[in-house]
Amino acid sequence: MRETILTKTQGNRAKKAWKIMIVLSILLLGMIVFSISWGTITVPWEDTVAIIGQHVPVISGYFPSVNAEFQAVVWNIRLPRVLVGVLVGAALGVSGAVMQGVFGNPLADPGIIGVSGGASFGAVTAIALGFTSLSIFIMPVFALVGALAAVSATVFLSMSRGKIPVMTLLLSGVAVSMLMGALTSGILTLMNEYRVREYLFWVVGGLDYRRWEHVYLAVGPILIGLIILCLLARHLNVLVLGEQEARSVGVPVVALRLLLLFVAAATTAMAVCVSGTIGFVGLIVPHIMRIIVGPEHRWLLPSSALAGALFLVFCDTLGRMIFPPNEIRVGIMTALLGAPYFLYLLRKTQQSGGIS
Amino acid sequence: MTQEIITVRNTSIVLGEKTILENITCSISAGEFVGIIGPNGAGKSTLLLALRGFVPLSAGEVQLAGRPITTLSDKELARHVAYMQQEVNVGFGFTALEVVLTGRYPYLKWWQHEQAEDKAIAHRYMEFTGVEALADKSVHLMSGGEKQRVLLAKVLAQETPLIFLDEPTASLDLVYQEEIFRYCQLITKQGKTVLIVAHDLKLAAKFCSRLLLLAENTMIADGPPETVITKENLQAAYGLHAAVFMNKVTGNLDIHTYAANDDNPNKDTNVHIICGGGSGEKIIRLLYEKGYRLTLGVIQPGDADANAAEAFHLPCLLGQPFSSIDELSAQENRRKISEADWVVLSDLTYGEQNIDNLQAAFMAKKLIVIEDTPIEKRDFLEGQAIELYTKLVEMPQVTVMTFPQFITSLEKH
Repeated sequence: MRETILTKTQGNRAKKAWKIMIVLSILLLGMIVFSISWGTITVPWEDTVAIIGQHVPVISGYFPSVNAEFQAVVWNIRLPRVLVGVLVGAALGVSGAVMQGVFGNPLADPGIIGVSGGASFGAVTAIALGFTSLSIFIMPVFALVGALAAVSATVFLSMSRGKIPVMTLLLSGVAVSMLMGALTSGILTLMNEYRVREYLFWVVGGLDYRRWEHVYLAVGPILIGLIILCLLARHLNVLVLGEQEARSVGVPVVALRLLLLFVAAATTAMAVCVSGTIGFVGLIVPHIMRIIVGPEHRWLLPSSALAGALFLVFCDTLGRMIFPPNEIRVGIMTALLGAPYFLYLLRKTQQSGGIS
Repeated sequence: MTQEIITVRNTSIVLGEKTILENITCSISAGEFVGIIGPNGAGKSTLLLALRGFVPLSAGEVQLAGRPITTLSDKELARHVAYMQQEVNVGFGFTALEVVLTGRYPYLKWWQHEQAEDKAIAHRYMEFTGVEALADKSVHLMSGGEKQRVLLAKVLAQETPLIFLDEPTASLDLVYQEEIFRYCQLITKQGKTVLIVAHDLKLAAKFCSRLLLLAENTMIADGPPETVITKENLQAAYGLHAAVFMNKVTGNLDIHTYAANDDNPNKDTNVHIICGGGSGEKIIRLLYEKGYRLTLGVIQPGDADANAAEAFHLPCLLGQPFSSIDELSAQENRRKISEADWVVLSDLTYGEQNIDNLQAAFMAKKLIVIEDTPIEKRDFLEGQAIELYTKLVEMPQVTVMTFPQFITSLEKH
């Protein structure tokens, strides 16, 4: 009798997490269809679904044909943009959650601790040196090196006696981010083909002019990164309880931390390559999901992926809707929504004197 | 048959420039409940960390179940020893069950999730420590006692033959402190071995089967509590002046400590105390702490004052229970009284059995009579005691005062 009650409470919590993920998936699909349909040229949502459906093998025969103009708008322009948004949002959401776990600090975020800035600097360096024409993998590799250099610098600057206090982590992150930003701007200014759009892209990320090649570039590495991080979720749970606790149950703490940080930084770097630096997604999304599904990373990471994708596509759509035909870049939208939330969190952390 | 589970040979630990522990040797058998005690900074926690392999040894060797600790992998160590640290800050709102399940980590392959069996184990130990009902509650919302019991369940869920606890009771109320020790005692009865760093000597003495006393970077005593907790060892380790005795009420080892007074001016002053029925306890304690050389008499065996005398290891004349003072004791009492530099007569209640004490008091060279209650209320001999007492207090060598006045007069000395 008692056994059944116990398994039930366990089951209920798993069920709750599943429900939340199903709801998030449905919202995400709805958001994707809405985002593709809405614009200067409005495409009826049935047509959007039909155009996407026609490209899916096996079921393609079931969808009616749609006129060529809609085809072009949906398939060549809006769908890749939304897909890049989904990938980047998921990557940032999960990386943020992982970094918060690794640093034991709810204010860690790829943007705030300098990872995005470093990746941006690396990518711009690759472009400036003209290496990008050699192979499509050159830019991601440079971005990864930049991201790792930045996160190493931040950790090195903020570490004192084996611990990383919240405040110093944030301050070091700001310093590293500013330095990376300055270097990125400097290189862009020196480059011959310097354009405002390029500049904006690397400094305030955006999803405009994203094409299928960007999807192809990012989809593999980001999905692999997300899968690895989700597989390590149980280990992250133990790590979050503190170094001594983790060591006493046999976790190879240093190796695990480095691995998690490396994969999270690589995933972020990949996202930066196709979207520029987009801040605050990795901060807000895991924090809200932690409140909804709890701190268990096996639920938190997948739901942060879905919620990150939903949030980013939502912000991008909102940015397109406010002053049509002008667009507000998605990096600006996330900052507008994220900065107040960050300040609220910071204040709360200061008041409670630690991790809440 | 006992099996040696921890072997420590000539172990030293140096951290940076500082020697923390030197030349520790001991071996611990399965089923022992070992308390590691000693003053702050003696290296208690460091010893525990070293035995778990968290701190490198600079000399010597530690073996767990016959294998050198350095040859064991992270997970093997975690399957041998469960370690509970002093302060655990469970952030991010993990539930009790989630925390306890982390104890199963050493048994899982990296890609595996906890199986039904692991969950059953977690629930079993949460039931044992009485936190089953809190399984789904966030640990950071729990009281100190609940949290420690959750962490104890986690340590037990690790199902190791050895359990190390580093001051698990530091932040707890008295009730919970005892509780943790009691759980540990139960665990050792099931054949596990527990090492606990404890700051409460009385609790350690009460529950542990063996104590290791550390001081000044080494181990100064090792053995069952009654051989480790002694006046001499406490003086050596803590610089404490202490009386160690069996508390008759609780049946436990008890410790009475007092301020150290090294150049004792009173050590050659002989004082005899005439007391009984608990009227002398506070006088005995006060004069003992001041360093006087004390004798007591005549007291009935089993009397509260007799227990106090035993606690402080004082020579005490004991009469026969429920009968008047015998001839021999009476004579001995009078000899002690006349030899003493001064004598204190406590606020005694007089009856058939002890009226001789009042008569003997006349022999004193110098007598202090403590009077907190009028003699009229202390006479059960229909005026016989009042008569004697009135005569006594009129003698020139006698001073009458209340106990507070007595304290003040001693301070002036």
